[in-house]
Amino acid sequence: MSTTTAPRPAPVRNRPSPRRQASRAARHTLLVVLSLATLFPVVLAVSTALKTPQDVRVNPFGLFTSFSTENLVTAWTVGDFDDYLLNSVLLSVPSTLLVVALSTMAGYTFARLPFPGRSFAFYLVVLGLLVPFFTYMIPLYFQLRSFGLLDSLVGTNLVLATTGLAFGTFFMRAFFSDLPTELEQAARIDGASEWQIFLRIMVPMVGSGMAALAVFTFLQNWNNFLVPLLYQPNGDYRPLTTGLYLFLGGRSIDIGPLAAGTLITILPVVVLFVALQRQVTQGIVSGAVKG
Amino acid sequence: MTGTQAVPAAAAVSGSVPPPVAARRKPARGPSGAYRPPRATRRDQGRLGVLLVLPTMAMVGVFFLFPMVNAVYYALVEFDGLTAVPPFVGLANFAEILGDARVWDALQNNIVWIVLGTAAPLLVGLGLALLMWGVEKGSVFYRVAFFMPYILPQVAVGVVWGWIYDPLRGWLNAALEVVGLGSLQTGWLGNADTALYAVLGTAVWITSGFVFVILLSALRNVDQELVDASRLDRANRLQQLWYIVLPQIMPVFLMVTTITLIGGFSVFDIIFVMTGGGPAGATEVLGTYAYSSAFELNRISYGTALALVITVLAVPFTIALNRLQRRLSLDGAGA
Repeated sequence: MSTTTAPRPAPVRNRPSPRRQASRAARHTLLVVLSLATLFPVVLAVSTALKTPQDVRVNPFGLFTSFSTENLVTAWTVGDFDDYLLNSVLLSVPSTLLVVALSTMAGYTFARLPFPGRSFAFYLVVLGLLVPFFTYMIPLYFQLRSFGLLDSLVGTNLVLATTGLAFGTFFMRAFFSDLPTELEQAARIDGASEWQIFLRIMVPMVGSGMAALAVFTFLQNWNNFLVPLLYQPNGDYRPLTTGLYLFLGGRSIDIGPLAAGTLITILPVVVLFVALQRQVTQGIVSGAVKG
Repeated sequence: MTGTQAVPAAAAVSGSVPPPVAARRKPARGPSGAYRPPRATRRDQGRLGVLLVLPTMAMVGVFFLFPMVNAVYYALVEFDGLTAVPPFVGLANFAEILGDARVWDALQNNIVWIVLGTAAPLLVGLGLALLMWGVEKGSVFYRVAFFMPYILPQVAVGVVWGWIYDPLRGWLNAALEVVGLGSLQTGWLGNADTALYAVLGTAVWITSGFVFVILLSALRNVDQELVDASRLDRANRLQQLWYIVLPQIMPVFLMVTTITLIGGFSVFDIIFVMTGGGPAGATEVLGTYAYSSAFELNRISYGTALALVITVLAVPFTIALNRLQRRLSLDGAGA
């Protein structure tokens, strides 16, 4: 369909009548108001975190009436948010790399390398898209306990990675299915082995897909609450999400440091999202439409 | 053309002898003309395929399939977390679920959550997407702003919305005072009558962004010529929307509806963080009850049985979603 690819002419540009101009201005005003309203809770978190502790005590939720980094320092040193931040990195980077690497390998196989029982294996993997984590989270706890993988970086990373593999495999398979066969054939004529074709020809062509999957998976793992809550019962490697939850329960009176902890928790997500918003939204959209 | 297949086929049959290089090089074509690699190549491909898929299968097997099968076993025994061979109790846990008033209350909350938590984000998300449709200037900012809530960690979201609902100095009560509705002021999360709806409000703020992004991408694919033609025919805005635009985005709209519905069954984080299921069970859903049964009340088997019930309730919707998505990606391929 050519209409989907051709740039659509903006209807307002043809006839800039006063009435249309007014409606366009009204639309933009409405959009600005609504987007600022949507961002309000984020602004509130930033504002409360960056006030002086005295100001927070008198006027906890007023917007930007003073400025101080004292709450951030308190959260960082007293609230252990420095440890939580490091643990979040240690729990989301390896699991994300694992998901991207394994999904690319498995996705290529399921798209292009036939072997007996392939479709059955594929169904077993994507079954993870249908079954909620609730179903197996409790047996998994006792299984990890018997493996000695509770409170460990390895155990939590492996569980986080597995929860992402179903979608990852499905996602990468779609990318590999869309590639033309000509390049592969040409490489084969040149004497390339199947492994070389995969690594040197196919993988470089799905780079954008791998990037979108990486960003999407990283956000999911960084934001995951239930997995570290369950499988870090003693909190040896507690990430920001469960760390913030613990802080919320333990010292709910101290709004200032709590706000600072919230800011530390959301800041990496916001920065990553703003920088890579196209990849993130693409990942979500194709995840919903295809996956 | 088909003759080229004979050589590698014979080589493959002869056993472990590698096929002649010349034979391996020629791409063979089947009767349909579609590319079909020679048998030796297919054998290589199969070997590599098994190798590439093995780590994924191992992880899925150990950390997903095995505990899933175990879940059924846990639900049929009475496991206390310690006993090596827990006693078999059959369907007793499921029978108890049927007679447990807390389950029915939780299910009721789940249903309210599913109905309102699906309808409201759909309306808000559709409204935002239509408002943004065709807007180029500032579109990145608007998109980032509207989608932001969906990508934030829900724990952090719960903390900040807790301040908005704060009974003494929260923004919601302050806003009500300003518009003269001060009599409605309450401790939103602590009041059993309002807690569920307060948490739902936060969930709507989160989910609308998701609906918005999906529907906006669907709107991009709407046939603009049809819309323009209907405008020439003097169709008003509402008629254009109802007769031209909505039918075209309907499959995606249905799909987003189903995704949100399914999410409604397994809601956990936001409720757990904001109210923990309270006050007095006012916001308890099946997910929070399954969690507290297993990990707070140490009723591991009962919690697992509850989790299985959630899964079974969500299955029909999941199957419907699956069908929709398959149809959708087929449509996409055909277009």
